[in-house]
This record gives sequence, structure tokens and C-alpha cells, in this order.
Amino acid sequence: MSLNDFIRELDNLVDSAVERFNDAVDKFDGEVLEAARVEFLGAKSGKLKSAQKGLGKVSKDDKPVAGKRFNEVKQRIEELFESAVAKLSESGGDGKSSEAFDVSLPGTLLPVGHVHPITQTIEELKDIMGRLGFSAVEGPEIEDDWHNFEALNIPLEHPARDPLDNFYLNAAAKAAGGDMLLRSQTSTVQIRVMENTKPPVRIVSLGRVYRPDEIDATHYAMFHQIEGLMIDTDVTMADLKSVLHLFAKTYLGQDVEIRFRPSFFPFTEPSVEVDMRWNDTWLEFGGAGMVDPNVLRSVGYDPEEVTGFAFGLGVERLCMRRHGVNDIRHLYNNNVRFLSQF
Amino acid sequence: MLVSWKWLNDYLQLDVSEAEFCDRVTMAGLNYDGSESVGDDRQLDLEVTSNRPDWLGHVGIAREASVLFDLDLKIPPADVSGTGQKISDYVTVTIEDEAFCPRYIARAIKGVKVGPSPEWLTRRLETLGINVINNVVDITNYVLMEIGQPLHAFDLAKIDGAGVTVRQARPGEKFMAIDHKTYDLEPNDYVIADEVGAVAIAGVMGGADSEVTEETTDLLIEAAQFAALPVRTTSRRLKLKSDSSYRFERGVDPEMIDWASRRCCELILDLAGGELAEGSIYAGSQPQPRKSVTLRLPQLKRILGINVPADEVERILSRLGNDIESVASQKITVIPPSWRRDIDREIDLVEEVARIHGYDKIPQDAAVKMSASHRSDADRVRNRIRTLMVAAGMNEAVTRSVVSKEWSAAFHGWSKAEALTVTTPMVRGEDCLRLSVLPSLLGARRMNEKFDNTPIELYEIAKVYLPRKGELPDERYVVSITSGRDFRGLKGVVETLVHSLSPDVRVTASRFADSLLDVEQACELKVDGKTLGYLGLLSGSAQKAFELQQPATVAELDLRVLEELTVLIPQHHDFGTYPTMTRDLNLIVDETLAWDQLEATVTTSAGELLEQVEYREIFRDTKKDGPGKKRVLLTITLRAEDRTLTGEEADAVRDAIVTSCEKQHEAKLLG
Repeated sequence: MSLNDFIRELDNLVDSAVERFNDAVDKFDGEVLEAARVEFLGAKSGKLKSAQKGLGKVSKDDKPVAGKRFNEVKQRIEELFESAVAKLSESGGDGKSSEAFDVSLPGTLLPVGHVHPITQTIEELKDIMGRLGFSAVEGPEIEDDWHNFEALNIPLEHPARDPLDNFYLNAAAKAAGGDMLLRSQTSTVQIRVMENTKPPVRIVSLGRVYRPDEIDATHYAMFHQIEGLMIDTDVTMADLKSVLHLFAKTYLGQDVEIRFRPSFFPFTEPSVEVDMRWNDTWLEFGGAGMVDPNVLRSVGYDPEEVTGFAFGLGVERLCMRRHGVNDIRHLYNNNVRFLSQF
Repeated sequence: MLVSWKWLNDYLQLDVSEAEFCDRVTMAGLNYDGSESVGDDRQLDLEVTSNRPDWLGHVGIAREASVLFDLDLKIPPADVSGTGQKISDYVTVTIEDEAFCPRYIARAIKGVKVGPSPEWLTRRLETLGINVINNVVDITNYVLMEIGQPLHAFDLAKIDGAGVTVRQARPGEKFMAIDHKTYDLEPNDYVIADEVGAVAIAGVMGGADSEVTEETTDLLIEAAQFAALPVRTTSRRLKLKSDSSYRFERGVDPEMIDWASRRCCELILDLAGGELAEGSIYAGSQPQPRKSVTLRLPQLKRILGINVPADEVERILSRLGNDIESVASQKITVIPPSWRRDIDREIDLVEEVARIHGYDKIPQDAAVKMSASHRSDADRVRNRIRTLMVAAGMNEAVTRSVVSKEWSAAFHGWSKAEALTVTTPMVRGEDCLRLSVLPSLLGARRMNEKFDNTPIELYEIAKVYLPRKGELPDERYVVSITSGRDFRGLKGVVETLVHSLSPDVRVTASRFADSLLDVEQACELKVDGKTLGYLGLLSGSAQKAFELQQPATVAELDLRVLEELTVLIPQHHDFGTYPTMTRDLNLIVDETLAWDQLEATVTTSAGELLEQVEYREIFRDTKKDGPGKKRVLLTITLRAEDRTLTGEEADAVRDAIVTSCEKQHEAKLLG
């Protein structure tokens, strides 16, 4: 390296150091200054250190001049730094020696984000069901009448099909044939899976579902469901109860009890409500039942050959119960102070 | 369904406590929702599922209790005899559409004395929270609550002409109901009409013109069956719900309509006097004969997982009112009762047996077969995205999929089409399926600003719904982000995300114009020529439109593209252990030269020793460099796999880079 090259490099170094330290002073930012200090004066990989390596490469004759120049530059940059520190310090620059190091000052916190509690609940439920052999699947949120109602054994005159109880799409979307709507339950996914899969089937379907509800502390027009489905040659209600019992024990704790209450859902028969006894109270957990033979037939299965069970849980209810959330609207307001709690 | 404890005891002697009763009916499917004292009676709230309209009357619930507690049930015979003129002499009933009204039974009573109801009747209705009107109206309500069959009493003198017709409403027909409000009817609505016009909306509500008042002396008693769907449609449209419409929507027992009519007349004769016209008018057809259903006993084990003894099965089915037609060794054939239209298949009988036998007998420790399950690739990718976003200080948001027209038109990156709309808004004014998640996040941003929350760093993984002609819409997951960082800050988040999913992927940016974004600071991001998404600073007008105080940046990425580029199972590459050499280059270039052009030149000319090109900063010195120039400071990191580089080698690479940059971009090395 020629002496000129070396000196040019040193000059550049001073120029950029001036710029960086001034920048820190302008911004009145100690962090920027510290970054600049490391950049230039850092013991390991500071630029001054690198420049020093260049000193070894100038010819022997030029070394004394180069060395002198290097020392001047080093001193210059150190002065620049000290003066920047002085400018930044409120006391007006008594010098570093008079500053007391306060170990009780708070550390510099990392900005950490949070996964939404609904997502956390869904992931945990999927995880538990995964360990019981259920694979998670998803499907479209915009559905046709067939998948949302017909295939689920919900006849035209059933109240669930009332236009006011569903988010039907306006006429323009009907070109695809038949009415389209935002799905009112994730059972639609089960139908889609069964239509394309031969038994055995063991899945959980999950996602957003929609029902026109006046929004208040306990209702929201959009919510999340997770549904389990198991179809095989010999699936019984005892299997259903056993799977739900394992599920409840995993989610809530070993001493959980479950019970079935008769209920009615068009797509299952027998249909039951599932309650779980937790902390001495029975909590309504969700609906379940044996897949109705009409549903099996509608997807091309033979109800004389296979049986199956299905169950569905509202994610919001579990999430709110677990985290002590008392108003469902909190979940969708996205207030950072709420989100940061989970 | 509100139930009076005393009333239930009219039909059977319940020698159990209320608590035991409520527990037991709950476990049979009549969910207990609470109770309270009304006077000296107890009002129980029992939740009735839509398949059991027979439970919408006290008799039906008593019938269920008689099975559960093995008690005898007594239902009043309701025998009445007409002594007056033949009813057909002065009333006719015409049904224009039997699909809507399969049967209509009319009776008439002359010379009644309308007045207040006796105390026992008043108390019964009050226990259930039903307003007391007068003895005749109260009796129709009483029988409704007794058997679940709606009844209506018309003031016969106010029926014009010979009788009534069940028909569709005329276009533009108006009707004043007993709530004294006027309703505009449509041909989809059905009415009971006399010669002049409608006297009742069939199945929903009677009319003010023919209502029974203190002056009424002659009555026409209507008991009918109306089809569920039209009743519901009319009731919904007119926002007019009644105890009657509620029951017709669920279906009435066609074989008990006549009993209800007789029971009503019996009570009116008792409490309001008068003379019953001889006979009744039965319009329409007789109910279809009920079909038998066979239960194969092995099906119980196959479905429920437990055995139920054959005699227990027979006992349950017969106590529930099924006529046992035949019993063989492995099967039993029954004819279900008239009030159970929901029983017509074998599986229905399986459920009945399970329900009464008790679900508590089903074990919860069956050996469920093991099965492998896999986590989908899409799930893995999303989990990795969430982990990275959280590490980048972003909070996950969940916002509504349906937005206002204004929001749906705010960003056009994915589709320029009009958003799909739903017939019912999700909240007021929000009926568009969103084409971008960004407006929703900006809405959340505004709300957080209002509460002085900082920092506001939000992301959401959700679907957008892009219309397609003649097809289901393209539902596409996007990762949507809004940040208080500047353009490069947010771009850094996106690039970090992409590199965390696939270290070797290169994201390129090109200018992109959209009204949501600043003219200068906006870009379309691409990966391998595919659109990954969009990123930019919010435009001034958008910031204003979303009422934001602070500048904000946004980005939205196509999740499918991220999924495709993700390396799910990274493979190990050998890496050298020799140290690096770095060189800073401070180049004076034209203002118009973009970083990625410069970077490309640096990369190609550096050769294989180049490990990294790092952008440092840009500054301008128009005095020294002239106008239209900028200084770009960059650092190159060099490494050889097999040796420690010498300074000369590093300088050679730097010189090669400088030469190329001079040649291709007329760049000048500073100094």
C-alpha cells in the first residue's frame, strides 16, 4: 500500500467519523453515538483498528510518517468522541470520570410481539387433537348451499337456512350456481374432505364462521370453530366420549369429568351437548354426535359400512374462559394493551 | 318454554323435587335454564330443541316425565257436544292451498259472555308471563300452552259473508293486527279472509277487526295446521313473532288439532257459557297414516358402543308412545306416535333408546385406535411466520372479514374488481368481503392512537376474497402488516421474514402506485417474478382518510408465495473457517441509480470471494460532486473457503468492483 493510499484512507476515516458523531449529537441519541464509537473505536473490528492493519503494509521507509499520521488521526477521533459525549451529557461535560454507573437503571427492553389469544387457543386445540391422531384441515369460508346445508342434512325449511340468519352473498356472486353464503359452521370442511377421501377419516376442521348476531359482550357475528370428525368401520359413541374425555383431560386437567346431554343437530344422530366438569361446575363445551346416516350417504359413504362421530367447539368460549376475558369484543378490537397481555 | 310446576301436576303426580325433575329432564334433552317463584307457583324455564315441538305444551312435557319417572299420565278427554244449529248452516271454510294449510277445523259457539277469566286461569297464564285479556282469549292461550296447538277465536259477527278462506294475500293488501299496527302484505303471505278481506295472518296473528271484545257474543274457533316455512317467512318479514308462529314453524301434532279445538270449546262453555253449534267443519285432508320403523338391536351396539337389553328397548319405545307392531329376536318394529314426526328412521329409534337409557352408561375409556397425524405444511409456515413476526415486535390482530364499501375500495393491489357483498351487513354499513386486510389494520391503528397506545405494530394472517367471474371467489390468505417504522424499517421486517423462511431467496422491489400509498415510497415486492406483495408508506390522503395522527407504513404479502418459497427442512452446507476481509466503498453515482442495480454490479464483479454486500448509507455533497449525484457507502465482506485472504486479494476485488461500477454506472470512487 502506498503512503498516499494510507493517508487518504485515514482522511476519509476522519471525515466519516465527524459526520457520524455530529449525527449522534444532532439526534441527541446516545445509542447512535455508541454505535459510532464501536464503528470507529471498537477494539475488535473498529475502523481505526482496521486502518492500523494497513500500517503494516506501507513500505518500511514510509512507516514513520504513516505511524505519526495514524496517531494523529487516532487522537483526533478520540477527541471527536469525547466532545460528542460532552455535548450529549446534560451536566455539560464534567467528563466521564465523574459519572456514577447506576446498575439499577432498567435494561433496554426488546420489543416483543404477541400471538393473538384466539390463535393460541386454536394452536393448542390442534396440537392436542394432533396427538390423538387428528390432522387439521381448512376449507373455503364462502360456501354453497350444498356444503353448508344440504349435505349436512339441513332441509330447506330448517330455521338455520333463514336468510336473516346467514350472510348470503348478493346476486352478483350467484353466477357460480345456487346461493352462496359465508359458512355458518366449519362442518362444511368435513363434507369437502369426505367427498374427496375414502374412510378412514380423522380430521379437525377449523376457522372463521359467520352468523348475523347483534354484537355485544357475548355475541359476535364472526367467530371461530374447531370440529372433529372420525369415520371408520367401527366408530361408536363410546369412542366419541373417550376422545372427548382425553381431550378435556389434556386441555383442562386430569380430574376433569365429561357428560353427554341429549340435543339436536341435523347432521348428527344421536346428538348430544358435551359438558365438562371443571372446578366443580359443569361447563357447556360444545356439540357432538354420531354422523347422521343421511350425511354419510350424501358424501357417498355407506352407513351400513361405516359409522363416525363429529364434535364442534366454539374457540372464543374456550379462549375467554381460559384467559378470563369477559367481553368477546376485546378479542376483535385489537387494542394493543389487550393483545400484549397474552 | 316456560313451564308451571302446578300445571304439570294436573296430568301426573310428580312426587319428586323440582331439582330432581329438572336434572332428569335435562339429561333427557329438555335443558333446564333456571326457575323462579311466581305467586304460589314455580316457573321453570326449559329449553326445547327445534325437533321437539311436542315439548311446547305442558302435556308434552308431562308425557316425557311420565316415561322418565314411570308415572301414569292423564289427559282430559275434551268431549263436547253441540246442541245448537248445525255449524255448516252458517259457516264455510275454504282452503285455496292445501300445501300451506293441510287441515282446518272450525267450531262455533253462540251467546258467550265475554269477561274476566277466573282466578285459576289468570294465575296459570301469569305464571308463564302471558298477558291476561278476557276469558275467551285467555282460554285459547291456555290450550296453546297445554298442548302446543295454536288456536284463534274470531268474533263471528264481524266475519263478513258466509265464512272464511285460507288464501294468499293480495298484492298491496293491508292488514291491521290485534296489536293495532297495520302491516303491508305480499302474495307470499297467507291470510284467513272473509268476503271483505283478511281477518288474520295465517299462523301469526289475528286481526283487530274481528277480535273478541266484551261486546262479542258469537265465536268462530279456529284450529288448523299451517306450513312452517311460509309462516316463518311472513313472521320474520313483518317482525311479528307470536307463540302461534313459533309453534307452526316447528310443526303441530296433526292428530291432536281436533282435541285442541274441543278442549278450547269445552273450557269456553264452562267459563263463558254459550251454546256450541252442532258438529265441526273439517277442511283439508286427513293426516297421512304413520309408517312403521324397525330397529335392529345390534345397531345399538354398533352406534352407541354398548348393549341395551331387548326388554329395556321395548319398554323405552313403548313408554314413549310408540305402538309396538312386532318383536323378533334381533329387531323391533314400531309405529311412532303422532306427536313425534321426527321419528321415521332406525337411527331415530337408536337415539330415543340412548336418550332414555342414559348417556351416562356410555363408557369414556374405550380403546380408540392409534393413528398417525401430520401437521400441514401451511400450518408449519404460518407458525414460523408468527414466530418471526412476534420476534420483530409485532402483535397479532384479528379483524372482521366484512368491511365497509369505503374500506373495500381503499387498496387495489390484489384486485381491481368490486368487492363481493353480503345481503346482511355484519355491523352497520359493513357488507363488503374485503379485498385487503390493510384497511382493517389501519382501523385498529386509529383506535390504538386514540388511546395513546405505543408502539402500534400489528399483523394479521387472514383471507381476502377476490371475485372471479362465474366461479367461487379466490380466497387467499395474506400476511398483512402495519407499523410505525419507516419504509426501510418495515421493508427490513419483510426481508427478515422472507430470509427466515428461505435464506437464499431474493426479494426485488419495483415502483408501485396505489392511492393508499405514498407516490414515492411504495413498491411491489416480487420473488422469482411472482408478486409477493406490496409495501409502502401511507399516502397523505389515506392517512387523513383513516384519521391517523402519525405516519404509518403497511405491507401485505401473499401467503401462498411465502409457502412456496419456504424451506421447511433446511439442509446443511459446509462453511469455511477462514476469517473475512472487509472493504468500504464510497461511490459517487447518479441520483437515479437504484441500489439494486449497483448491488447487482457489485455482486457480479466481485466474483466468488464475495460473501456479502452491505448497504451503509447515502449522503450528498452537491458542492463537491455537483448536482444529481449521491454518495453511496457500502461494505463488502470477502471470504475464501480454503485460505486466509490477503489484503492484496481484497484490494483486487475492490478494484474490480470499482472498475465495473465506473464502466456500467459512471461511478467514481471517493477520495
